[in-house]
Amino acid sequence: MGVLVFGKCRQLSLVNWSKKAITRKWKRWRFVGENEDTAVFFPSKDLSKSTLFPYLVLHFTLCHENEELQHQFLYLIGYQKTMASCAIDGGCPSDYVAVVTAICSMILLILKSSFPFLIHKVPRAKGSSFWIPVIQVIASFNFLLSIVMSGNFLKYRKSHWWLSCYVWGVWVEGPLGFGLLMSCRIAQVFQLYYVFVKRRLPPIRSHIFLPLILLPWIAGAAFIHGKKPLNYRCHLETYWIIPVVCLHASYVAVLVGFTGAIRHIEFRFDELRDLWQGILVSASLIGVWVSAFILNEVHDDISWLQVASRFILLIVASILVPVFFSISISQPLLSQISLRKREPLEFKTMGQALGIPDSGLLLQREQAVVIDPNEPLDKLLLNKNFRRSFMAFADSCLAGESVHFFEEVHELGKIPIDDPVRRIYMARHIINKYIIAGAAMEVNISHRIRQEILTTTDLTRPVLFTNALNELMQLMKMNLGKDYWSSLYFIKFKEEASMRSNGHEMEQMTGYFSPRLSSVHATDDPFQHDHISRGSSQDIHDSYPQ
Amino acid sequence: MGLLCSKNRHYTEADAEENSQAAEIERRIEQETKAEKHIQKLLVLGAGESGKSTIFKQIKLLFQTGFDDAELRSYISVIHANIYQTIKILYDGSKEFAQNDADSSKYVLSSENKVIGEKLSEIGSQLDYPCLNRELAHEIETLWKDSAIQETYVRGNELQVPDCAHYFMENLQRLSDANYIPTKEDVLYARVRTTGVVEIQFSPVGKNKKSGEVYRLFDVGGQRNERRKWIHLFEGVTAVIFCAAISDYDQIEDEQKNRMMESKELFDWVLKQPCFEKTSFMLFLNKFDIFETKVLKVPLNVCEWFKDYQPVSTGKQEIEHAYEFVKKKFEELYFQSTAPDRVDRVFKIYRTTALDQKLVKKTFKLVDETLRRRNLFEAGLL
Repeated sequence: MGVLVFGKCRQLSLVNWSKKAITRKWKRWRFVGENEDTAVFFPSKDLSKSTLFPYLVLHFTLCHENEELQHQFLYLIGYQKTMASCAIDGGCPSDYVAVVTAICSMILLILKSSFPFLIHKVPRAKGSSFWIPVIQVIASFNFLLSIVMSGNFLKYRKSHWWLSCYVWGVWVEGPLGFGLLMSCRIAQVFQLYYVFVKRRLPPIRSHIFLPLILLPWIAGAAFIHGKKPLNYRCHLETYWIIPVVCLHASYVAVLVGFTGAIRHIEFRFDELRDLWQGILVSASLIGVWVSAFILNEVHDDISWLQVASRFILLIVASILVPVFFSISISQPLLSQISLRKREPLEFKTMGQALGIPDSGLLLQREQAVVIDPNEPLDKLLLNKNFRRSFMAFADSCLAGESVHFFEEVHELGKIPIDDPVRRIYMARHIINKYIIAGAAMEVNISHRIRQEILTTTDLTRPVLFTNALNELMQLMKMNLGKDYWSSLYFIKFKEEASMRSNGHEMEQMTGYFSPRLSSVHATDDPFQHDHISRGSSQDIHDSYPQ
Repeated sequence: MGLLCSKNRHYTEADAEENSQAAEIERRIEQETKAEKHIQKLLVLGAGESGKSTIFKQIKLLFQTGFDDAELRSYISVIHANIYQTIKILYDGSKEFAQNDADSSKYVLSSENKVIGEKLSEIGSQLDYPCLNRELAHEIETLWKDSAIQETYVRGNELQVPDCAHYFMENLQRLSDANYIPTKEDVLYARVRTTGVVEIQFSPVGKNKKSGEVYRLFDVGGQRNERRKWIHLFEGVTAVIFCAAISDYDQIEDEQKNRMMESKELFDWVLKQPCFEKTSFMLFLNKFDIFETKVLKVPLNVCEWFKDYQPVSTGKQEIEHAYEFVKKKFEELYFQSTAPDRVDRVFKIYRTTALDQKLVKKTFKLVDETLRRRNLFEAGLL
């Protein structure tokens, strides 16, 4: 590598040395001579044994535009390449090993994060439950890439602005890398704190909270970019390290603080374990980085130390980045799936995951009861067999979300009042799936009732979803109820019920044929899907026929 | 050897039977596919409460068997529910205005009516509504006639009071009769929020005649959560009937959004759907009956989309002028949202009042003619 820059200070490149730094360095060089804009140094006795720079010519230019010397720029205009120059230029074998490890780490991270969606075809969640893990993956990628690009692992010319140290070592590493990772984790803990400790939904939405807590990183990066304290090897000067480490450590401290505030909660999906793991990882990374920096600064003439320290830095970061990633906080049910699980997944409902009795099961021992269409629908829906049949009918008309909602609220009702953690899990799940605007199975309720739920001050309230349920029961009664009684689903339900009961009288069919189905013949029905043959397990993410 | 021969013979018989069954199935599939090709798929789309289901009911009344006694009776609970819900909205609304409005005194009910109001509000929040008897009907009527409730009703556009409110409140005595059977008009006024998809098949010339087109009409819910289900219906659509309630220009939707603006954005979205490249669009500018009363009292330019509207006169002339202005806005929107390669698709605008059966019948005949002409044109016969 030869960074050849000529000319006036207007044509500066990225290679800058501050006077103080070069003064210290000058002790190792024997000044030979200078003219107006060039100074020549030969290595001192010690350095002459160095394999890096047999000679060094420094082009020393003053900025004449200002009266005072603002910067003195030294341009490295030539040196003889040696075999050991990969310590400065990059491209040592260990560098390539470290980069390959980083790539493998990223692939593993992407697989880990996308596995449930690719293999089990789980539909994408809406809102921060999806976006925060995605941003974490992107931030992890940025972080590793910033280490590679600013750590001189690869040989390339830093002739473009977007290859500069400040882009990678400051902006990408800080606000877009480590800072973003920590901010995402803090946003998640903030949500957990509000939901499980305050028992209400967070007052600030994630899409506002995340940029807010990222602001100190952005401000810090802008400040560093303005002051330009980095040397040509993308290293900070010593006294800059302290505030930078403090910024990194402060976010870890905030994370520790929030995690401490929720440590007494009995989480069910390893959220606390993942949080402590994240704290350990981030603290370790800071420790390794500080160590690497110190070693580099103290012994920047020892090439093997430079190479070794950056190798360890990238390897450690590559190992710890996938360990840091976790979806248990944003999507607890998905965290039950891992790359290790080989069995075809009988996808769990939240009710099953929380251990709610008889959740999602169609118990054969349930009494076969005679269904009377004159009974209130909410009473009829308490019968699991009837509910399954009605749900299949509603799904076939693309109106099943109300029945699914009823079922999950019914399961919530089975959780004792004195078990607030499970109640909160279930309530949060129901809100994310059915209530939030744009949710996967958003129910048709009025804005007023939706807001009542979203602004509740107590997620454990037994009557949290009562008004919504009432509204939906009205909707089902007036919309689906009368159509169901004359549908094939009800006919099949009766047949199955009579087979089970063996001797109960068949319910007499009354009324007219449903306008939901084609008036010509049932095979015209475009929604005639095989819901009737659905078994006992219900995939909660199975919304509508595709 | 003999055994082998007999085995082969058995195999041949079973094989032949299977083949004949397969052939029969193929023939039936072919027959049904052929029949399917002649069925024209129509979608009725539009924002919530734009009149889609009313149009749907009218089609059922006009071109199918209509409503029999059992179906009419099934609407009693719906109509009673509408009444309870309406009076609850009005009572709760009057309380809200009495607390927050600058001129709060006109929204304060008399103390006796407050008691009635609390009772009816409680009934309105229940899961099962009681049957509307004379006593309850009288209480509702008393509350309805309270000046505070009437003042609240004037601001019904802020509370999403259903359009059927006035009709049902003025007929309480009849609706609370023990032997009440809803009329067709009652059924058309009855408000039931549609969820999911409903479908009927009909022919405009009547089922006994064979020469007419056969249509399969799909009705959908118009609320935001329902719209994401529409995409399942977008394939192979002959025509979209888009209902826009033109009386909604001063109505506020949830989150303070103007309903006309909501309708505008929705129409724009529907027009741009890739599946509708060759689909005909029939725009029903609906609720003209409410529009013609309202436009003389509430200026059109309260709606941001119509902010450049200037009234020109009064009375019928003004109504016509206002209607033409709204129609022109929708036409402009259509051409703005239609790519150059789609300008050939049929686009017609109709003035409708979904509750008016004659008007709907006439409108649908025009729609039918348009679609038949289009089919003939596509077949190269025109």
